[in-house]
Amino acid sequence: MTQWLVLSVIFVPWLGALLLALSSDRAPRLQHLVASAFAVVTGLLSLCLLPLVTERTVVSVAAGSVFGNFTFVPDGLSVFLTVIAAVIGCLAVIFSIDYMHGEAQLGRYYSLVLLFIGSMTGMVLTSSMLLLFFFWEMMAFCSYALISFYNDDPKAVAGGMKALIMTQTGGVGLLAGALIAYSFLGTYDIQTFLAYAHRLPEFALSIMAFGFLIGAAAKSAQVPFHTWLPGAMEAPTPISALIHAATMVNAGVYLLARFYPAFAAVPGWTTAVVVVGVLSAFLGAVMAITASDLKRTLAYSTISQLGYMVYAVGVGAVYASQFHLMSHAVFKALLFLGAGAVIHAVGTRDMRQMGGLGQKMPFVRNVFIIGTLALAGLPFVNGFWSKELVLEEGLAHGPLWAYILMVLGAGLTAAYSLRMVYMVFYGTAKKEHHVHDAPAAMRTALAPLALGTLVTWLLAGWLSELLTGSLPYHLSHLHAPGTVELIVDVLTAPATLVAIVVIAAGLLAWWYRDLFASLSKAAALPAAMAGADFGFEWLNRVIVGSTLLAGSVLRLTQTGHLSWNALGIAGGAIAVLGLLVWGS
Amino acid sequence: MFNEMNVLMLGILGLFAVGLYALLAVRNLIKIVVALQILVKGAIMAFILAGKINGHMQTAQSVALTVIVADTMVAVIGLALAVQVKRRLGTLDVNELTSLRG
Amino acid sequence: MYLINILLAAGVVYCAVRAVIAKRLLASALWLAGTSAIVAMVLYNLGARELAVIELSVGAGLVTILFVFAISIAGEEGMGERTNIPRPVVWIAVLVFLFLLGEQVLPHIIPIPGGWDLESPFTFALVLWERRSLDVMLQIVMIVAGVVSALGLLAPAMAPQAVKKAGQAAGHKNVAQTAAGDTAENSRRTTAAAGEVQG
Repeated sequence: MTQWLVLSVIFVPWLGALLLALSSDRAPRLQHLVASAFAVVTGLLSLCLLPLVTERTVVSVAAGSVFGNFTFVPDGLSVFLTVIAAVIGCLAVIFSIDYMHGEAQLGRYYSLVLLFIGSMTGMVLTSSMLLLFFFWEMMAFCSYALISFYNDDPKAVAGGMKALIMTQTGGVGLLAGALIAYSFLGTYDIQTFLAYAHRLPEFALSIMAFGFLIGAAAKSAQVPFHTWLPGAMEAPTPISALIHAATMVNAGVYLLARFYPAFAAVPGWTTAVVVVGVLSAFLGAVMAITASDLKRTLAYSTISQLGYMVYAVGVGAVYASQFHLMSHAVFKALLFLGAGAVIHAVGTRDMRQMGGLGQKMPFVRNVFIIGTLALAGLPFVNGFWSKELVLEEGLAHGPLWAYILMVLGAGLTAAYSLRMVYMVFYGTAKKEHHVHDAPAAMRTALAPLALGTLVTWLLAGWLSELLTGSLPYHLSHLHAPGTVELIVDVLTAPATLVAIVVIAAGLLAWWYRDLFASLSKAAALPAAMAGADFGFEWLNRVIVGSTLLAGSVLRLTQTGHLSWNALGIAGGAIAVLGLLVWGS
Repeated sequence: MFNEMNVLMLGILGLFAVGLYALLAVRNLIKIVVALQILVKGAIMAFILAGKINGHMQTAQSVALTVIVADTMVAVIGLALAVQVKRRLGTLDVNELTSLRG
Repeated sequence: MYLINILLAAGVVYCAVRAVIAKRLLASALWLAGTSAIVAMVLYNLGARELAVIELSVGAGLVTILFVFAISIAGEEGMGERTNIPRPVVWIAVLVFLFLLGEQVLPHIIPIPGGWDLESPFTFALVLWERRSLDVMLQIVMIVAGVVSALGLLAPAMAPQAVKKAGQAAGHKNVAQTAAGDTAENSRRTTAAAGEVQG
């Protein structure tokens, strides 16, 4: 039973992807219908997995000694992320019915989305590092193809290429780590690795740990690999909500959390994770406050919020990171889809051209404000509880300087959240827009997410049961409280008070921004730096540029001449013979 | 050293050499199919020779039969491709068939 | 026996060389048929009676017919001798390959006085059908693939050119007629050749 469920959560969306890839674009209504049906079924199947959580391997496909067994383990962490991917995927597909209405090539769009959902569930459910890498790269491909969905727009194509190269570069670290584990343990199985990681020599474990950190940072758009995410905003907005806010970018956090027990003892690793998280959280917030593009603002805030999760893993609070992941997935999907509704109605992404939309789009305004409250970390929506828990754990187990920067980041988050809402929904209308409120399918997707933003923190106790019940290697790092315990814990912690004061200060600072007008000249330099991604752009340019250069050099080997290709084959035969002669 | 089996083996090696040389040095697409045929003839002979030496002649024949079938199909497909190339691009010169250049 | 083997080995290489250096494609195909015939003789001498017959009929017969057929469609074509690969590179590749293979194989060919046969109660048919039936399945699949691709040998030029013709036809009625004539002729040829293949 469980095994069929695990396999169907992966293969049902893939089946849908296949059907939609083969479907005719002349029947868009049918495509919308089929895609939604498959997405909803996947979401329901993932929910069915919840009571079946186990730490045992339920599916194991023998694939020979080289590839190891292809195993799948639906433990707490996996199932939790499967549900997030499948349910938010389902809502994003429903949202797309209105958002993508009348667009061309829906078959390609929906098949890639469903392919992505299946890859994401496979990535979290598998317990083979090789398959993990495989699904990881499939997600990167879907992300690339969907960013470049409008493939007649050079910006979209460039953004997709950049995202692909950056995440692939990180994927090399993941593959290297998997191969090292295999060369020492003879298996790709993650459970075995977690059990016997201490038997690896220290240098090998260090290479693995930092390789995985690079992979995770590239995937989760963390400093210094973050600059692909703003470029990824050329994708259709439901894609930004699903892939670049709620699910795929969480893969890096998942990876760190999954392997935390094995790497925690590696000298310098936890510090490195904390540094990456703090830098991303703080710099992301600074960049968000200076951005004027609605989706870019949200992208920077995603970098910042993912930084909080990475920071939480770094200080050893795996539970807090997953709890914030859940909150963030829900409220950020809500914000992105709300932004999608606004952009769809207004036709521009520039916040300076919006304003005064609140009266014309009351529904979208209301749900967007709920999401913003959670993003800013105001009581008592889900973002508040999880962010406070992260900060509290950070104060208790992490370095003080990191905590101070994180709290400052929380203040900045409050400021840019308020700025965003104000610029979009209030103030005077800059332009006369003939806008209408969100249509039915968009509301269908937005309403559950808004509700979720209000209530998912009540699931804290359930989540801790889920995680503690099936993760034997993580038990000592979980610090998982029950719901009531969490409420008392957070409300009485001094960290909470500090954070609330700073958040309030952030809100006030933006509200009375006129008082700081004289400071704006002094702020010009940091603003310019933020606009230039703090100079990290050069690193990305180096990576992307050198990859493309290597590609054009390798292109020389593709002469297109049959004779040269035949010479290559002959060279292969000679190499095999040489191995036979000198090898034996 | 040069017993009668070794003489045949030299013949097989000769076939391989001629086939490999032709594969690399010949410009006409149809002649490249000829080169492949020569290579496979050598392989068939080698199978039977090995069967003779091992004493498993019938098994060697069965395997070599599969090779003959595969080889014939390679000839059919190769010639079909060559004919289509000629019809579409007007030439069989592999020096000019470079549309796969990167 | 020794002398016959020397003659056969020399003959097979000679025919192969002639097939490669022949100026005309038709001559090349005929020399290939000769190679095949000598290979069949070698097989017969070694005791592979059934396979020798198959090699003679398929290798020297069917394949040669296919070659002649393809050459008659594609036509002879004058072109230079050299590919883009420098000749020394070709020679080095061939010689290294030969050296490595010869070093691996030649010392292991041990003479067997009188010969021996570990499979004496089994006939070729028995071995093929009972012990290697999977091979037979594979062969059937390959033959089907070959028949399908033979249609490519016979078909007129495929899609892109057909589209181009249709585009021209809009402008020039004459071209359209020629194209139609072409197609009719080709379809006739297809039926004829299909009969030939079956025969």
